[in-house]
Amino acid sequence: ANAAETMLRSSDTHPDGYPTVEAVKYMGKLLEEKTDGRLGVEVFHSAQLGEEKDTIEQTQFGVIDFNRVSLGPFNNIIEETKIPSLPYIFRSIDHMHKVMDGLIGEDILKAFEAHDLVGLAFYDAGARSFYNSEKPIKSMDDLKGMKFRVMQSDVFVKMVDALGANATPMPYGEVYSSIQTGVIDGAENNWPSFESSGHFEVAPYYTLDQHLIVPEVLVMSKKSWDKLSAEDQAAVREAAKESVPHMRKLWADREAASEAKVKKAGVNIVTDIDKTPFIEAMKPVYEEFVTSDKLKDLVERIQATE
Amino acid sequence: MEYWILFGTFVFLLLIGTPIAFCLGVSSFATIAYLGLPPVVVFQRLNSGVSIFALMAIPFFIFAGNLMVRGDIARRLVALAGAAVGHFRGGLGQVNILASVLFGGISGSAAADASAIGGLMVPQMKERGYDADYAVNITVVSSIIALMLPPSHNLIIYSIAGGGRISIADLFTAGIIPGLVLALSLMVAAWLVARKRGYPLEPFPGMRAVGTLLLSATPGLVLVAIIFGGVRSGVFTASESSCIAVVYAMFAIFFLYRTMDFEQFRLAVSDAVRTTAMVLMVIGCAAAFGWLLAFLRIPTQLVEFMRDLSDSPIVILLLINVLLLILGSFMDMSPLIVITTPIFLPVAMEFNVDPVQFGIILVLNLGIGLCTPPVGTVLFVGCAVGKMPVWDVVRTIWPFYIAGIFTLMLVTYIPALSLWLPSLFH
Amino acid sequence: MAVLARIALALSGIGLVLMTAFIAWQVFGRFVLNDTPTWTESVSVLIMGWFIFLGAAVGIREGYHLSFDVFLYLLPDRVKRVLHTVSDIVVVAFGAGMIGYGIQLAEATWSTTIPNVGWSGATAFLALICGGVLLVLFSLERLARRAAGLVTARFGEVELPDEDR
Ligand code: NA
Ligand code: NA
Repeated sequence: ANAAETMLRSSDTHPDGYPTVEAVKYMGKLLEEKTDGRLGVEVFHSAQLGEEKDTIEQTQFGVIDFNRVSLGPFNNIIEETKIPSLPYIFRSIDHMHKVMDGLIGEDILKAFEAHDLVGLAFYDAGARSFYNSEKPIKSMDDLKGMKFRVMQSDVFVKMVDALGANATPMPYGEVYSSIQTGVIDGAENNWPSFESSGHFEVAPYYTLDQHLIVPEVLVMSKKSWDKLSAEDQAAVREAAKESVPHMRKLWADREAASEAKVKKAGVNIVTDIDKTPFIEAMKPVYEEFVTSDKLKDLVERIQATE
Repeated sequence: MEYWILFGTFVFLLLIGTPIAFCLGVSSFATIAYLGLPPVVVFQRLNSGVSIFALMAIPFFIFAGNLMVRGDIARRLVALAGAAVGHFRGGLGQVNILASVLFGGISGSAAADASAIGGLMVPQMKERGYDADYAVNITVVSSIIALMLPPSHNLIIYSIAGGGRISIADLFTAGIIPGLVLALSLMVAAWLVARKRGYPLEPFPGMRAVGTLLLSATPGLVLVAIIFGGVRSGVFTASESSCIAVVYAMFAIFFLYRTMDFEQFRLAVSDAVRTTAMVLMVIGCAAAFGWLLAFLRIPTQLVEFMRDLSDSPIVILLLINVLLLILGSFMDMSPLIVITTPIFLPVAMEFNVDPVQFGIILVLNLGIGLCTPPVGTVLFVGCAVGKMPVWDVVRTIWPFYIAGIFTLMLVTYIPALSLWLPSLFH
Repeated sequence: MAVLARIALALSGIGLVLMTAFIAWQVFGRFVLNDTPTWTESVSVLIMGWFIFLGAAVGIREGYHLSFDVFLYLLPDRVKRVLHTVSDIVVVAFGAGMIGYGIQLAEATWSTTIPNVGWSGATAFLALICGGVLLVLFSLERLARRAAGLVTARFGEVELPDEDR
């Protein structure tokens, strides 16, 4: 695999074979072709080099060259990344694609430059929805008082609290047994994670409210970027952009496989919910996080995108 | 060249007596400087390596253990064990092992077990005509049981080192049968040695005496029930259970037994801080060392090397075990778990070994390493409480090593020993 | 120096007790009040950093770190002293790294915030920096004592829980 003269290092917290990992590998292959074997990419998967927050710093310091991360850990670093991380900001996956593939996405990628990073492309991470061990959730009343595990993130906590449920931050590794024993009632995630974590075995009610459609981002270290010739920089940008359709296909396949497996296990899936009250309940969350005119403008532009 | 700097500096510093934490930290620092990368990464890894919620179980369990020793809970557990099995051949040796089973259900630290139980049992055994080396041998090796029975913070470290995706509850449950098998093997070894040396028998004190002692040890036993029951019934998570152990130990000591004054409490706290800092500083520095191993692609290369060596899972597992036993005789347990898990877990999984079973193999294997020279924390603790030179202890310890390695082989090649019990909860 | 070590240990001990209280509160909040406090996890992790780095520094002074000193027994005292000095100098360098690079990390994370607590991300590195300062001081003390012909605490001595200090 180490065919290129210079192998650039890329970090990913997902295991080998995961769509994001495979997409960056694919990008490396394209880069190798475009640079006649001068540059290639090696993916350090499974959080070998650290969790996302740490590897972001390492990328900024120029220790690693590429990093595939979720937008979430950037929320407290780069203001603009808060907006696509807001609950119910995107109406659907298609809406998200339209926004992030267009000028708004370009603007957000540019915001990385001020933080020693070069934003290259957005990848898919599906839509996050609630699952629980108790009952099918069809309305906000059903959510009242239930305990949901969330990531250590302000937006997640505020969102779950605004929905009337009890946000419970907890490390991912403890979620399975915590749902099983009743420490918590459920959690929220996308199809592939719901399946691969085995959480569907203990939380057989999945409500597709799609509260968060947060894309992932591929960034390069500004330090590594500056070392490349203008020609190689262009090759990196092209390879990253060209990896996006491939990634989306891998993601769709993975999602479909997970969905099939979960459905086969007999999980109760709720699709017919009226999201309007959920969206209305998010008013205080938006008020808290959309603070500047720049951010308000971004929200309006996203909502105006057809 | 970078390999030589990393391992060379490490071994050199180790030999000149630098604390292991700084051997790991400084060798990483030197290597990254040689590579021309910003050394700030070493300190970021050090800081992140100790800023993990699940690690909190370590200070809590150590703290709870200290409270129990100073608050007399540990002694009552030993007294109960003495009454229950003292009338078997090599009686007090069996007591020592059973006490480790009981203590192991509360503590996750072999060193704490060796100091708590050894400190009480070794003088008693010597007084009743047992040889000091026999007493220390049993104390040392049976303390591995504490690592196997829940709670075990080393299994938590393993779960984190394995990417945080291995269920801690499963690991805890999986350790129970192997821990009991180890206890059984050690009891057989203790019995054989006792018969050969002609040690005396204790009279059975009668059910009544056992009952009284049971009553007196009940609050200690309740702690075991609270930890295990609390995790299993959903009151708290596995990492929170360690905190509840502290809260309960304080409650029992201050309100039920009333065996502790403020000065004793202060000493228990500062001792817990010392031990925790000692252990977690090693873990933090090992995180930096481990980052460099990954960055230099050493795990991947080792995986490829081992894959070329043999296709047989039996041979590969044997190789991993031998390698771990060698590493374990030089290094302490927690850094080795952090360093070797990312290297060996992918290999083992490649050969269809369940990550839960591999965790038990790893902890048992490295636990044996704690009892072996040249670097063996538990061995040193045992020698200190028995007031014995290391060499005198090691000369006669082999029957117990054999029992340990025998158990290790059973656990390695019979997956059901570890996996059957957790499967009941799924 | 002894006073400094005692203060560091006392602070660490208070940290451990506080951490116990916070996590117990987290369990109580979730299980009894059905309202999980979301700050307990982050704050407890910060406290843990403090008592690890302060405790590790005091360990240099008191000699309770894990080490491997079997090899040293084979050597004459004069060589042993030189090697101990090398070891202490190396630890000073590492402590200096904790200070210097700790400050660099704090600067880099100054404008970020810790989720659900709201403090600056830089607070996570304060313990690293303070631990580094103590580490340098206590190692320099060892070097000075050795140069003056006084004894220094030996690493690798097995320390027992019921041994009073
Ligand atoms: Na245990
Ligand atoms: Na050892």
